[in-house]
Amino acid sequence: MDEWKPNPAAKPHKKRSWYLAWKYKLMNQRALRKLCQTGAVLFLLVTVIVNIKLILDTRRAAYEEEEESAQDYDDEMLNVEVPRHPVSNKKVLDVEVYSSRSKVYVAVDGTTVLEDEAREQGRGIHVIVLNQATGHVMAKRVFDTYSPHEDEAMVLFLNMVARGRILIFTIKDEGSFHLKDTAKNVLKSLGSQVAPFLSWRDMWTFVGKKGGEVYGEKHAKSPALSTWGDPVLLKTEVHLTSVEDAECHWPDTELNRRRKRFCSKVEGYGSVCSCKDPTPIEFNPDPLKDNKVFDVPVAVIAGNRPNYLYRMLRSLLSAQGVNPQMITVFIDGYYEEPMDVVELFGLSGIQHTPISIKNARVSQHYKASLTATFNLFPDAKFAVVLEEDLDISVDFFSFLSQSIHLLEEDESLYCISAWNDQGYEHTAEDPSLLYRVETMPGLGWVLRKSLYKDELEPKWPTPEKLWDWDMWMRMPEQRRGRECIIPDISRSYHFGIVGLNMNGYFHEAYFKKHKFNTVPNVQLKNVESLRKDAYETEIHRLLGEAEVLDHSKNPCEDSFVPDTEGRVYVMFIRMEQEADFTTWTQLAKCLHIWDLDVRGNHKGLWRLFRKKNHFLVVGVPASPYSSKKPSSVTPIYMEPPAKEEGAGAVPAVPAAEQT
Amino acid sequence: MQKINKNVVLALLSLTSLVFLLFQLYYYKFYLSQKNGAAFSKVRGSQSGQDSTRWHVVRKFLGLISSHNIQVYLIDPLILELVDKDIEQIRSSPDGPSPECKYFCSPRDFTTFALLDKTWKHEVGLFRTAEKMGFQWLKIINKDPRLDGMDDLSGIEIPLHYIFKLASHAIHLVVFYERSGNYLWHGPLRLKQHMDRKFVPFRKLHFGRYPGAYEKPELLPVSIDDLKVQIPKNPSRFLEEMSHSRFLECRYREARAFFQLYPDDASLDAVEFRKKAKSLLHLAALTLNNLRVKFWLSSGTCLGWYRQCSVIPHSKDVDLGVFIRDYKADIIPAFQKAGLQLKHKFGKVEDSLELSFQGEDDVKLDIFFFYEGDDHIWNGGTQAKSGKKFKYLFPKFTLCWTEFVELKVHVPCETLQYVEANYGPDWKVPVKMWDWKSSPPNVQYNGVWPVDEWDDVIQIY
Repeated sequence: MDEWKPNPAAKPHKKRSWYLAWKYKLMNQRALRKLCQTGAVLFLLVTVIVNIKLILDTRRAAYEEEEESAQDYDDEMLNVEVPRHPVSNKKVLDVEVYSSRSKVYVAVDGTTVLEDEAREQGRGIHVIVLNQATGHVMAKRVFDTYSPHEDEAMVLFLNMVARGRILIFTIKDEGSFHLKDTAKNVLKSLGSQVAPFLSWRDMWTFVGKKGGEVYGEKHAKSPALSTWGDPVLLKTEVHLTSVEDAECHWPDTELNRRRKRFCSKVEGYGSVCSCKDPTPIEFNPDPLKDNKVFDVPVAVIAGNRPNYLYRMLRSLLSAQGVNPQMITVFIDGYYEEPMDVVELFGLSGIQHTPISIKNARVSQHYKASLTATFNLFPDAKFAVVLEEDLDISVDFFSFLSQSIHLLEEDESLYCISAWNDQGYEHTAEDPSLLYRVETMPGLGWVLRKSLYKDELEPKWPTPEKLWDWDMWMRMPEQRRGRECIIPDISRSYHFGIVGLNMNGYFHEAYFKKHKFNTVPNVQLKNVESLRKDAYETEIHRLLGEAEVLDHSKNPCEDSFVPDTEGRVYVMFIRMEQEADFTTWTQLAKCLHIWDLDVRGNHKGLWRLFRKKNHFLVVGVPASPYSSKKPSSVTPIYMEPPAKEEGAGAVPAVPAAEQT
Repeated sequence: MQKINKNVVLALLSLTSLVFLLFQLYYYKFYLSQKNGAAFSKVRGSQSGQDSTRWHVVRKFLGLISSHNIQVYLIDPLILELVDKDIEQIRSSPDGPSPECKYFCSPRDFTTFALLDKTWKHEVGLFRTAEKMGFQWLKIINKDPRLDGMDDLSGIEIPLHYIFKLASHAIHLVVFYERSGNYLWHGPLRLKQHMDRKFVPFRKLHFGRYPGAYEKPELLPVSIDDLKVQIPKNPSRFLEEMSHSRFLECRYREARAFFQLYPDDASLDAVEFRKKAKSLLHLAALTLNNLRVKFWLSSGTCLGWYRQCSVIPHSKDVDLGVFIRDYKADIIPAFQKAGLQLKHKFGKVEDSLELSFQGEDDVKLDIFFFYEGDDHIWNGGTQAKSGKKFKYLFPKFTLCWTEFVELKVHVPCETLQYVEANYGPDWKVPVKMWDWKSSPPNVQYNGVWPVDEWDDVIQIY
């Protein structure tokens, strides 16, 4: 009862009289007093009852909850929480760096972060980047500066490393033969005293902060050409900075949170981690009108080439009509850095335990990735298959959207590929033109689910067969006479220089000059004429209007094709039977196009461009189009060169290589 | 004058006690809603039978969801039951204001919604907005079963359930995934060790005790209790489906162990047989589903699923089980129409019925009909040349969904007992020689068909 207080807003004297009256009543009227007492008792009773109920209910609720935590809903797997190591507040790192002919190692605070004593491997300058606040390894690279151009790659890499990072250098075996002055100057600018004078078989270690102090440097000169410098061991201390100093202060958005996570872990991605003006990681390209491939899953097959993957995903996410939801990156192996790249772009990535070796490993990875793709997207009728070392054209999805219905309707089709094996700078011209070819190019292609599930998956080469998946797919047992649709100008560009079947020389010869479409929204012409029968009509029409070239001239000469534009020319080469590619191979060689195996043919016909003229090559008499040859013309025969080159020197190279 | 004053004082007094009582009630509610609304809803339920908290929470949740362009649909069985009763009326007036709060006001701890995974992009923003609106939320993730069958993928973890809690009410959001076999799947709700076991009374949830498999529902946008929600177009069918939706995942890990012990037959014949068996099973499933005849994988096909998650290549046929109560005379013509000729028919509907159809090439489809005994279930077998009858006994079982060769099919939930009854304790060891009359441990001799019935009970084509 004493909870009740008179209204404080009422006027004082009025309140007083009111209060008095009340008191008076209370004191004097027995009946009322009694009533009040009864009321009070009642009130107390009610309170007690409510309280008891409260206690009872609470106890029951608590008991029920107890029960609810019964095993039913417990995860059967015991997830033991691993206690996190307390963050060491140590401000100094002990760094040990060793350089010698056959072994290099780097230890940070007693933990070996690099050790390489393998024979005939890891030659050159090893570079390690540490986070200046945590001491974590952010990048590990080796540049074989004994070989040409590797120093350029090193300069590029060092330029991308953010200021303030700790850089550790050490040479294994030899690192100076092709270390040019530009590179030496860069090393000098980092504070190295020795770098400008590094010479043949010198041993060298260096630890410094980019744009800051030098923590130590050691060098051992090679006494003679035939011997190596003595091994050097550098022990030094590095002072850590605070985390705030090591990070950029980007506005706090979802994207920047991803960026921050990425940039504090890895190095060597340049402007994406720039504090001032970071390059975007979301691209929002224009959507496509009536996009028929919006719901088609995209599988990106990746190994451990995170820088490639980064470049690839950038171009993929910038392509018009891309649907990031449908992209899955399949990483062959439990590599962290590729996964970091995938997460930077907010995509989903799946890691795959490597099975088998070399080409079989790639092949098993392909199988797992394709199966997983169709499991994850059970509705999909197709999947787009890409690799981590491809640039994707801005109109890649537009190209597929315009042509994918053919794959659905035309049983005689095997795939749609974005890559034209013969589409080089000097042999491809028309972005709106498509071909049918008997060889599957890979390198960015569309696979029909029914083909995979009913035919390929059950028969896929097992791990012990060291086969290339794409070679296997090209075998007649698999292809069964079906063809692929390709564009004249490729919608993908193969930029990978390192890889299982790839090296710099090979890339330069066969991939560098490949034409790549950069025009958005190309309207493909005559897509319907790509159907099986319509294509024959189209070819006959083309051959009908084509001018026969002068077969007395040398087809390798530039003058073989007149200096015109926009004309259609045809030449006839000798091709005794379906598998006789002797002359074609020689012609391909002198035209500087793909000559390692036969690509891009359709019933003994090849289509390409020369001097902006459409240029048709017909193999006589094997091709059904031989009938178009005027009787006066003798098919050209080109002899293979004498054995000196040796076919054995030619590496067996699948177009789609990886890892 | 005095009397009036007295009354005023009295009124004031009772007002005070009432205020005090209300305060206590409020405190009571506040205290409980910290843990769960169970006890309180009972108290208030007895007062008014209405719970506007729930309505408000649901409305807020729907607002949150639509502000992020996410589509959810109502699958709360208790509400759908009510809705189902009024379905005609709700359908006919999709937008009319409702006079009373009928569905979302009965006091419950939860309201359950479904979310199709492929319709949303796992945005973090949703949860941030939810927090701003006052929701507490819990996410339950687990391995992606769609990748579980693949031995060497580190299956990513996917969200299976979300719970959004506000005041005394919680929204249980079940995430449905599309899987090969054209059906929807939701995962079990399992709490990891560090999770708050008292976040909500998990046991009372309607979804999550087991994983479940559902057909893709057609949705119907409706307005009930002035809330715009989507519901399954046919709530009663959904509820019926829900009652036996339990899903069993294939035992991929054991299957891998099996193949390590007994490497898979990768010969061309095996590949071909598997392909044929798969297409035969697809055809059979299509035919029986059209007739609405419930069937399950039996005998060798069931063993293949249970032991190795694939068709046993040397089994040479596909075996299905059907309860005799589901038998329909249309079965034979329907299969014939689908291009499968009847190969033989043994027994009769009353006893030991068994049908066998000839599929493509040498693959045979056997349909065994199962009869319910007192403490067991059995099916019959007949030896054509002698007219001998056999009986195969199985312990009683119920049916669960599973996925097999890209098909959503039934298997006995108690698969181990079923397989062991049929193949004995050594079922893990592949046997190529199998005599269906003597090998199964559950076979019993069951007499001989009377000779005058032979024409009827032994039909061979």
